[in-house]
This record gives sequence, structure tokens and C-alpha cells, in this order.
Amino acid sequence: MNPKRPLLYSLTILTLLLSACGTAPATEVPPDQLTGTLSVLDWAGYDQEDFWVDFKNTYPNVTVNFEIGISDADIYAKMAAGNQADVFHPYSGWLQFYVDEGLVEEIDTSKLANWDKVSDFHKKLGQINGKQYFIPWDIGFSSILYRTDKIPEGVDSWAALTDPKYAGHISMWDDGPGAVTVSSYIHGYDETAITAEQLATIKEEWVAQRDLNLFYWAGEPELQEGMRSGDVWAAYAWQGSYALLLGEGLPVAYANPKEGRNSWVGFYGIRKGTENLDLALKFLDAKLAEATGNNVVNLFYYGHSNQDVMKSVTDPMLKEAFGLNDPDILEKTNFTPNLTAEQRDAWTAMWAEVKAAP
Amino acid sequence: MGRGKSRTVTTTPSLPHFRKKLGEGARRVGVGRGLDRRATFWMLYLPPLFWLGAFFLIPLLLMFAFSFRPDMSGDFFRLWQPSFNQYSKLFATGSYWRLLGVSTWMAFAISIFSVVLSYPIAYFLAFHGRQRAGFYLVLLLVPFWTSYLLRVMAWKIMLGTEGVINSFLTYMNIIQEPLTALLYNRNAVVLTLIYVWIPFATLPILAALQRIDVSLFEAAADLGARPIHQFLRITLPLSLPGVFAAFFMVFIPTVGEYVTPLLVGGSRGSMYGNIIQDFFTKAANWPFGSAMSMVMLFGTLVLVAFATRLINLRDLLE
Repeated sequence: MNPKRPLLYSLTILTLLLSACGTAPATEVPPDQLTGTLSVLDWAGYDQEDFWVDFKNTYPNVTVNFEIGISDADIYAKMAAGNQADVFHPYSGWLQFYVDEGLVEEIDTSKLANWDKVSDFHKKLGQINGKQYFIPWDIGFSSILYRTDKIPEGVDSWAALTDPKYAGHISMWDDGPGAVTVSSYIHGYDETAITAEQLATIKEEWVAQRDLNLFYWAGEPELQEGMRSGDVWAAYAWQGSYALLLGEGLPVAYANPKEGRNSWVGFYGIRKGTENLDLALKFLDAKLAEATGNNVVNLFYYGHSNQDVMKSVTDPMLKEAFGLNDPDILEKTNFTPNLTAEQRDAWTAMWAEVKAAP
Repeated sequence: MGRGKSRTVTTTPSLPHFRKKLGEGARRVGVGRGLDRRATFWMLYLPPLFWLGAFFLIPLLLMFAFSFRPDMSGDFFRLWQPSFNQYSKLFATGSYWRLLGVSTWMAFAISIFSVVLSYPIAYFLAFHGRQRAGFYLVLLLVPFWTSYLLRVMAWKIMLGTEGVINSFLTYMNIIQEPLTALLYNRNAVVLTLIYVWIPFATLPILAALQRIDVSLFEAAADLGARPIHQFLRITLPLSLPGVFAAFFMVFIPTVGEYVTPLLVGGSRGSMYGNIIQDFFTKAANWPFGSAMSMVMLFGTLVLVAFATRLINLRDLLE
């Protein structure tokens, strides 16, 4: 045996060990030491820390900048125009175009620790062409909110929004696709395949409704004020307004129309090509965490996609608002389908013509 | 007559002479500091030109280009094949044209009322305010210190079913049920906008009235003119540049107004500006919104050009 060999072996092993150390994956930065800046395009109110509290607590040194969008159309147009937000917040119906125009990144859900807490039903709503482009987050109903002192007989149909009995005391949401949805329920149209003739009928219906309608509401505070003052008796509304007004002691009820309630879901998506992909995924994961979800339920009265959060709701008023007492509520609910670009243009133009009609 | 004679008459140098002097002075300053008039001109005008170019002209040109885009698909800033798609749709939709007509008519009425109501205020400030004129002017401008939205919201408190007017009328037993016709209609929009514009309209009229040489009134009085004739033959004609400036200052932005109709107009109070806003913020249809904006801009420019020609504004201003 060559006496030099043990030395040679030792040097070789040492070299291998050192080189192995050099190529080993870097240790992940502890969350509280992670730095960076994340840009989020969101709706007014959701920039409050309550709604991203888990992220803030876990990554205290990451700066989150919020930009506010005023509608789904506004958020989509901003993203299409090249907005550099890393994360954005669209709602039901407004998902398809982001995928068609290559504006959204497919989400690697294996990196979301809270993903298992989301129901398969809601996960599926964030999929386009079989891929998970969006994570579901806030959930709610649309139905008819009414004053029980003004309408003691109650409301059992979406047709209440076009009922001459309530002339001058109705308030419809200022939204074309929303109006098409309501008419589809009333007439039993297939919302995903509205024909030109059906759209013409819908337009006539809403032009006639204009004389019964006090004002179209764009923001919920406007609607809530109208209900409080007694000017508005029946309105298209989200359940957050119902829970808020009920909590204030106002005599209001939230209809379970025979055509079924409407349900919508808010999603988060990640901009395609973002340099902050890792941080954006961490943000989305924290959005699904419990403290954030509890705040959505307790402060905004919306549902949350984390099932543990919803199971922990005990307040009877919230249980009623979310329909948690009704085991059949989902069967009786219509989920907003995704719009195509053609539907979006035709339905919004129809609504503009309603507002411009003589 | 005697007062006129006793008046000390000071002569001012004629304008060409004055300009000549000024020019010489400026040249002397320019030579002394190594800065000629051209450099001074560009130094003063470049910043505002840049500002207007970057934040007004380029966006306007972009909007013009967008109005010829066939739809929203594809990259925003790619070159696209110009299309008249949006304009043909717009020309085919009669309700938009009708609404543009209604908005123009509303703007006309609002401008007339604003000017008529502003004139006495400006007249009072110019000729009867005396030492307190500055204080009154501040009072006039107080509303500007609060948000526009707040001021419009205040009208909801005035006109609402549980508002000031309804409460008063109910308290006085004049009505049993609150009047619902006060709010959420076009009348509420007109009423609110007149209120909003009055302070704006007062300022150019006040400026025009303050420029009138008071000796003209004295001369007219000396010649036996009664106050009404002084007003009709001197004050009104000489204040017309301010009156027209006030009219156009109100008219042009009112045609495209959208905030006030949104807040107090209700279902039937929409103006043309609201529909433009809807196409940008509720429909994600910027090309159609741009086409609507261009038609409004062109229409307003034509109207203003026609009006200035009709009233021969240049002669008035000179």
C-alpha cells in the first residue's frame, strides 16, 4: 500500500465534503427576518391590517403596498394595462379574461400550508381550464334585503325588484351582469347562454324598472343609508349589509327567493411574471389562515374559504346570514358563472343603455 | 360737473411708448445678467408646457388612439389596426346621443342660472363691499375649503325624505307625507350643480367689474344717466368678458359632469359623463369610453367655437 494513499483519500473526502457544503441549499431565511416589498391590488377596506393580519405577524419585515380598485372591471383594466401588482383580488365572473390574456400565474398549491382547509367545491371555482389560477377567499350571497316593517308580507322572489307595489322604494346594484343574473333567475334563462333576444327582453325589463327604482347603489354604505332612512324598502344586497343592519336593530330580513339566492366568491390571483412569486404565495397562504379568516367573518360579515373558520362561527345572527343553519342552502344557491369577453361587453353595454334610455 | 373739473387727472404713457421702455429695460437686464429674452421665455414656459404635455396632451392623444381600437383584447400598448368599430356602435345607439343632448341642455341651463345668480354677488363685492370686500370674498370661498363630495352630500341632507326641507314642511303641517320629488332626479342635479358653481362663476365676473374705471359712472351721472341706464350702458357691457368667461367655465365641465348625478340623480338622473365613467370603471371597455369622450370633446369644442363666433368674444375681450 502506498503510504501516501491515506493522505490522498483524506484530502479527496475533505474536498468532497467541502464542495458538498458549498452546493447545499441555502438555509431558508426565518420568516421574521424575511424582507421585501409586495404590491397588492385590492378593494377599499381590504387594505386594513385585519384582513392580512397573519401575514403581517409572520413576516413583520415585509412591506405590503396596497393599491385600490373600485370594481372588478377597474381591477381587470388596470391589470390588462400593465399594472405591476404582484397579487390582485377579482370576484366570481371576472376570472376567465385573466387567463385568456395571460395575466395570471398558475398557483403551486403544494406551497400553501392552509390549502387543505379549503373545500374541494370552492377550490374548483378558482380553476380555469382545469388549472388552479386563483385561490378562493371571501364568500357571500346576493339576495333581496328588505324592510320587514314596510313589506310585512315578506319577499319570496327576485321579481320583488321589479314589483310596482314598491315603486320609488327599490334599489338595484349598479351592475350590468348583476341585472342579467336577476332577470335570468326571474325568467329561468340559462345565464351562461343568454341570447340576443333574451338580452333585449332583459333591457326592456330594466328600462321599465327604472321608474320604480330610487337609485342604483355602487357602494354598500349608500344602500345601507337608504335602508336606514326608510327610503329603500327592497334592494339587491350582499349579506354583509344584512348582518350589519340587523346588528343595528333595523327591522330587515334577507330573502330566500324561490329561484334561489346568488352566491359569489372573491379570489386572489398572482400576476404572471412577478418577481415576487415566493412572497406572493406566502401572502396567499396567510390569507387562508384562521385569524385573517375570522376577521373577514366578524368584521365584514362575509364567509371565508377556510372551513375551520366557518365551523367555528357560533353567533346566531352570523349563522343565519351565512345560511349555516340551512343544510340545503348550497343546493338552493346559484353560483355566478364566469363571463366571456363578449358577454362582458354586451351586458355592460346593455346596462349603460338602460341608464341612458329616455 | 364741478367735481369733474376739480378731479386730478393723471396721464399714463401711451401703450407703445410704455412697451418700448419695457423692452429697453428688459434688454438692459438681459445684457447685464447674461440671460436673453428667449432663454427667459423658455425657462418660464418649459415647465408648464412639459406638465401639460405629459399629463394632459399625451393622455388625450392616447385616448384618441384608444377610440380606434377594436376591443380590449391583447397587449395594451401594442400597435393595432385602426378600427371605426366603436364609433359605428356609438352612432348606432340613439340613447347616447339623446343623453348628450340632455346633458348639453342641462349644462346650458345650469350655466345661465349660475351666472345670473353670481352677478349680484360679484356686483356687491365690487361696488358695495368697501373695506369688508375681502372678508366677504373669503366667505364666498369658504365652501372650497370643504370637500366637493361633502358639499354635495349636504344636499342629500337638505333634500332627503327625512331632510331639512321635508322635516320643516311636515313640522309646519304643510305636508303629511314627505316629498320624494326633491331628491334622486334631474332637478336635484341642476339645483346642486348651480349651488356648486356659484362661487366659481362669481370670480371672473368680479374681476371684470373691478376693472371698470369708476370715473365712467361719475361721467355718466354728470351726463344725467339714471342708475339703471348706467348699469345697462356701462357696467353690463364692460363686464361681459367676465360673464362669458364664467358661463364657459361652468358650461364646459358641466357637460361631462358625473359625480353629482351619481350622488343625487337617482335612476333617472344620469348624464353623458356617467355613461363614459361606466365604460371605464364598470365595463372595462376603454375603447368605447374613449370614443364617447372624443365625441363629447369634439361636440363641446364645436359649440364653444360657434358661440364665441356668434357673440364675437374677441372684440369683447379687447
